[in-house]
Amino acid sequence: MSIGIRAAIGLNRVAGRVNYRQLKLAAFISPVLLLLVWGWISHLQLISPQLLASPLEVASTFQELLTSGELQEHLGKSLSRLVLGYSLGASAGLLFGILMALSKNVEALCAPLFHAIRQIPTIALIPVFILLLGVDESFKIAIVIKASFFTVALAAFEATRGVSVNYLEVARVYRLPWTTLYGKVIIPAIFPPVLTGLRIAFARSWTVLVAAELLVADSGLGQMMQMGRDMFRLDIVLVGVVLTGLIGFCIDRSFKWGEAHLVRWRVA
Amino acid sequence: MRSISSFLSGLSLGRRAVGLILPLLLLLGWQYMSTRGASFAYAFSSVSQMQDALRELITSGDLQLNLAASLQRALTGLAIGGTFGLLLGISMASSRLIDTSVGPLYHILRQVPLMGLVPVFSLWLGNGDTAKLFIVCLSAFFPLVLATYESLRQVDSKFLEVGNVLKLSRAQQFRHILLPAALPNIFTGVSFALAMAWLSTIGSEILFNAGAGLGNLMMNAEMNARMDILVVVTILIGIVGYLLTFVLYRITAYLFRWRKTSSE
Repeated sequence: MSIGIRAAIGLNRVAGRVNYRQLKLAAFISPVLLLLVWGWISHLQLISPQLLASPLEVASTFQELLTSGELQEHLGKSLSRLVLGYSLGASAGLLFGILMALSKNVEALCAPLFHAIRQIPTIALIPVFILLLGVDESFKIAIVIKASFFTVALAAFEATRGVSVNYLEVARVYRLPWTTLYGKVIIPAIFPPVLTGLRIAFARSWTVLVAAELLVADSGLGQMMQMGRDMFRLDIVLVGVVLTGLIGFCIDRSFKWGEAHLVRWRVA
Repeated sequence: MRSISSFLSGLSLGRRAVGLILPLLLLLGWQYMSTRGASFAYAFSSVSQMQDALRELITSGDLQLNLAASLQRALTGLAIGGTFGLLLGISMASSRLIDTSVGPLYHILRQVPLMGLVPVFSLWLGNGDTAKLFIVCLSAFFPLVLATYESLRQVDSKFLEVGNVLKLSRAQQFRHILLPAALPNIFTGVSFALAMAWLSTIGSEILFNAGAGLGNLMMNAEMNARMDILVVVTILIGIVGYLLTFVLYRITAYLFRWRKTSSE
């Protein structure tokens, strides 16, 4: 990946000479300011309260949904779909990507179809999947599988391809058995880029699952937001928006933490 | 893009022919399913039906109309959102004050899945073109802020030292050193933003089911259970997305032909 793409998806962080303690405090300024302006505008009631719920209202709606147990149900549904689809898609993608990079025959057989289907945005496949699989669980899980499989497969493919020939030559000189070759050379070498692929695949899966739930679902965070939209309950919608953002943010951060800490041997 | 071309150039003709086996099998399987009876034909339309659907869409002008609407939305969104993204990225990179004050807010908002914002914008802006365009603008805006910011920050300090030696003013430094050095990377960010804009155009058209656009065409086809139209349009979306990236890639390669392609 070139620097531009890495930058666009937030891989390249420049560590400048910054006073971090100062920065940490300053980081709260703009979010708090946004909350204050939001609260102030909704207090003025320039816009009808149905269209702009105040932050306090959103918080109380959150509490309400939490005590009624509605929120936990929707959240659980969404997350279980995500986890099931993502684990299936990502593990299959990982194996397929490595296999395609190692075997010329597999590549010749599968690569054209793989690259062709990869070009189709997952979200554009939603209507096709609905017709093929109906609007049940299988459709949502299939969408998540599609989103995660291709991203992870491509990352694993390019990572395995990118393993330096030098490593393999050294391994050959030392006559390493293939278990050691995989365990100590190839897997550690492809681990960092694959982890990045896993993170991007996760973000895509989450977005596309929310979109699918917005469109057709009987449960899930997306459906809760859609219901809020239909009932003109912006507070419910905003609870959903904040939660989806928060979940995406937390998991993204934990992947990034993994990229920074699990790959200790890598000199940045 | 790179992996496809390197893949094609690295293979002999015979190997390339092997790659056609799976698509052909898929096609045959699909065709077979469509002949298995009415309940299957509902979901699996035959290849000839798809040809008819394509012809029908072209002669009725539906395809051109909706394709033009989608393309226009994606490109307008890229232009508007991209410009704002570029401006914010430049100001964040050149001013510590803006960076520390706006940066955190930007990183928080960036995490919200854009499609999750659809219900909010539909309440605020209605279900029409404004709401869709807004989502497309945002989808181009977010990646370009980051790409611009990072590209400008990553300019080699050697170049900046030359600028210091020549005693360039900040504006001159930006105009003559920072911008030319960062521009190729920023353009990679633009191609990423273009892909995002196309994706969110289709997504927003699917979710806001009103007006013209390929997404709307698909949702109408879905409601009428017209799998033939759906498949045609889905493939078309993939091709157009690929072509858009390809055209931008060629433009970039032409604009920055003076640059060594060592970053690839």
